[in-house]
Amino acid sequence: MGLSRREFIKRTAALSAASYVGMHLPFSLEGKARAADADRWVRGSCRLCGVGCRVDLGIKNGKAVALRGVPESRTNLGYVCMKGMLFYKILGHPERLTKPLYRSTKTDKFKEISWDQALDIAAKQFADSVRKHGSDSVAYYGSGQALTEETYLFQKIMRGGLQTNNVEGNPRLCMASAVGGYLTSFGADEPIGGYADIDQASCFFIIGSNMAEAHPVVFRRVMKRKLDNPNAVKIINVDPRISPTSRIADMHLQFKPGTDLAILNAMAYVILEEKLYDEEFISNYSTFRQSKKVEVDFDTYRKFISDYSPENAAETCGGNITADNIRQAARWFAKSNGTVSMWTMGINQRKRGVWANNLIHNLHILTGQLLKPGADSLSLTGQPNACGGVREGGGLCHILPGHRLVKKEKLRNQVELAWGIPKGRIPPKPGYHTMAMFSAINAGKIKAIWVHCTSPAQSLPNADLYRKGMKREDVFIVTTDIFPTKTTELANLVLPTAFHFEKTGVYGCTERRSQITPKAVDPPAGARPEVWIVREWALRLARELNDPVIKKCVEPFIGKEESFDLPKAIWDEYSQKLTKGRDNDLRGATYDVLMKMADGVQWPAPTEEFALTGGTVKKFVRGMDPMADSEARDDKPYQFYGPAHPDRKLWIWLRPQQGPAETPDAEYPFYLSTGRIIDHWHTTSMTGRIPELMRANPYAFVEINPKDAAKLGIKPGDMVEVKSRRGTNVLPAKIYEGPIQGMVFVYWHDMFEDRMINRVTKDAYDPGSKEPEFKICACRIRKVSGPKPLKPYIVS
Amino acid sequence: MKGKILLVVLLILSVFLSACTCPNCPAKGQPGVSVQARAADHPAVTEQEKLMPCFECHKEATPEIYSEWFESGHGKGMVKCYECHGTYEDMKAVPYMSVCAVCHSGQFHKTVDGKVCWECHPVHSFTVHN
Repeated sequence: MGLSRREFIKRTAALSAASYVGMHLPFSLEGKARAADADRWVRGSCRLCGVGCRVDLGIKNGKAVALRGVPESRTNLGYVCMKGMLFYKILGHPERLTKPLYRSTKTDKFKEISWDQALDIAAKQFADSVRKHGSDSVAYYGSGQALTEETYLFQKIMRGGLQTNNVEGNPRLCMASAVGGYLTSFGADEPIGGYADIDQASCFFIIGSNMAEAHPVVFRRVMKRKLDNPNAVKIINVDPRISPTSRIADMHLQFKPGTDLAILNAMAYVILEEKLYDEEFISNYSTFRQSKKVEVDFDTYRKFISDYSPENAAETCGGNITADNIRQAARWFAKSNGTVSMWTMGINQRKRGVWANNLIHNLHILTGQLLKPGADSLSLTGQPNACGGVREGGGLCHILPGHRLVKKEKLRNQVELAWGIPKGRIPPKPGYHTMAMFSAINAGKIKAIWVHCTSPAQSLPNADLYRKGMKREDVFIVTTDIFPTKTTELANLVLPTAFHFEKTGVYGCTERRSQITPKAVDPPAGARPEVWIVREWALRLARELNDPVIKKCVEPFIGKEESFDLPKAIWDEYSQKLTKGRDNDLRGATYDVLMKMADGVQWPAPTEEFALTGGTVKKFVRGMDPMADSEARDDKPYQFYGPAHPDRKLWIWLRPQQGPAETPDAEYPFYLSTGRIIDHWHTTSMTGRIPELMRANPYAFVEINPKDAAKLGIKPGDMVEVKSRRGTNVLPAKIYEGPIQGMVFVYWHDMFEDRMINRVTKDAYDPGSKEPEFKICACRIRKVSGPKPLKPYIVS
Repeated sequence: MKGKILLVVLLILSVFLSACTCPNCPAKGQPGVSVQARAADHPAVTEQEKLMPCFECHKEATPEIYSEWFESGHGKGMVKCYECHGTYEDMKAVPYMSVCAVCHSGQFHKTVDGKVCWECHPVHSFTVHN
């Protein structure tokens, strides 16, 4: 059983390829060991993914020393993942930014300046740009990690103060197609049900999601359901790559990338052919749509779907797809007592991501696998506040707070009235969406941009193209962050901010659930909460532009103490004035209520009394959702009052199969796909600084199917060039029966230039949601050498 | 080197075979090892080797333990070795029980006095009860 040193080293070379070049990674489990010693525990949410796990942060002598899950929380039932259990180490991390840094030109070195100087410079640069080039020459690019109070205040200043809708954020890169799918299928954004359905489901349809790594705590809940009911519960995993999620699946459908729409239509075919649909549900609650304005009948849909026989789909999809397993999947889906679908980026980051979302929803509408316990079409969110802050708080170029569309004058006027600013102040035209915004920077149309809590220099597809624009000297870039990133490297002004638990605010997770995280410890000296930064910046902007309306935007917040009173006043304004009567009514979710709840409140929650019950577990269901009662138009149990469907119906869409924007050819014969790994989150600016996590996955690999590797003479650990029409990476090879033959897969978190895969990905995007197709492009691969020394890398 | 690796294997085996009296170890008659079994007892590894997941070696060095973990809820849920045992610098063959409490704090407080978690939930396979 023992292993010789020689064998050990031999396998080391074969498996990991990498030698080590001087990086000290001190390892410590001290925090866990000292957990019992904490002086006090402060309850809040996890800072990382979109699951919304509730955690207690252990404090000793004013410092964060430990973390544990909250057993009574309905989101995580006490469990946390390895990232979650270690993120407290970011508080007080020695590499935190603590001084505003400035340089007038991007070739200069940064120098430390005071907060007064920094805010003056930021105000002058934005004001100069507005004066010289107009309101649309400035932009805000935010984050699904920003607190709702932060996103709300930023967009208020941009729209009401500076009169531009150039308000965007990184959720455009991950969730926009899900938004488009929910709006066009159900008439309202965000899921009908939530995690509670997992505990009652009999079938899980997981497509385009490696939730075992990207959402480990929700995966655990699915896993438990399966392990407790091994025969009664079926799990279907649909993905071109076999991943750790596949381990609990009864069936893994592995298909050629970009043929997912054909699989989904083929399942609908079987549901029609075998009469597995719920005729009463369809006739009561749905219509069929060819386009927004063209309604068709069931027969037209049936004719459309006749092209997608399982036999045809199997031919289109390749891989291990057979007509029989499509039929089996459709039967399990339709006949179960409750089916929950779950998906993330594999569906959303597609040229036709909205259509793919529609086709998942179609299956639920056709079979009536909705609105009942254990059934839901549940899009998993990637970031902790993409739903709460950005989708609900008005953080995208086309939406205002409270799920209002910019283009609707009546809705703009409601917001102007709530803000006490002149009617017509908010411009009617939506701003630049993310890819258009960074294209406008390339074209010199945007002269000043504020990048908050995100790193587009690493996270945009085809990143080199957009980094060129960000390097322009005529574009002034302000960043607010806690650590140096690939984007702070391109900034003029870097402002150090408080981190989670160093300030107070609300996150809204996947399942319409808003949860508060109060300040528990002081931020490092010099770092400030963003709400304070934006307020002070806005007051200077008002002076620079001599515009009292800008001051009016922050007037309710002047003089408020920054760690609690200020965010509370912002939340009060947003929740009481902007969500009143909207489908995300949060009036009952006051700070008082949120502080009392172990796990927050699910909207709609119009009153405090209702919010204290936990809120709405199932949207649109009378007796469960107070708005389904107050908005009811008839006696039916389900009431679809969402703002996007005036007919109050669910829409079944006729959406054809459509492949990716770029497919392999003789020159670039492989598909490239990218994804996540359990130890890291996003760009590793946080997880890469936690030694345990960095060591667990120190750099990105390229996963290659063993058959492809054998053909190309690539062995484990060899250095492999991955080249597309846009850029090149050189990464160590992992030979793995994961990706389908003809496809390679690269983790996207690595900051090192040669392993930064977004230099290779393609920036085509969905024409509806404007979300880029990160998941598919064409590339070629070749071995460039045997194993080489590698070094984990983080921007310092 | 072979000797050192053998030592680690023996230490881990001793989780099942031996008993001790330290506060973090199983009660009399239950399997356990000394918490003193830690980094110093692991074969020396280079900085490069520290960047490998523990299981890459332990798949062969301790295949039974690897299999128990891999098939367990922890294995399926990707709760990796280092989350409980740490790694080289501060490796603990028997983790502190407070490690369990990070995720299982609800159950942690229900633990029978004088017993440790793995007295009832066998190490690495973590079935519900022995």
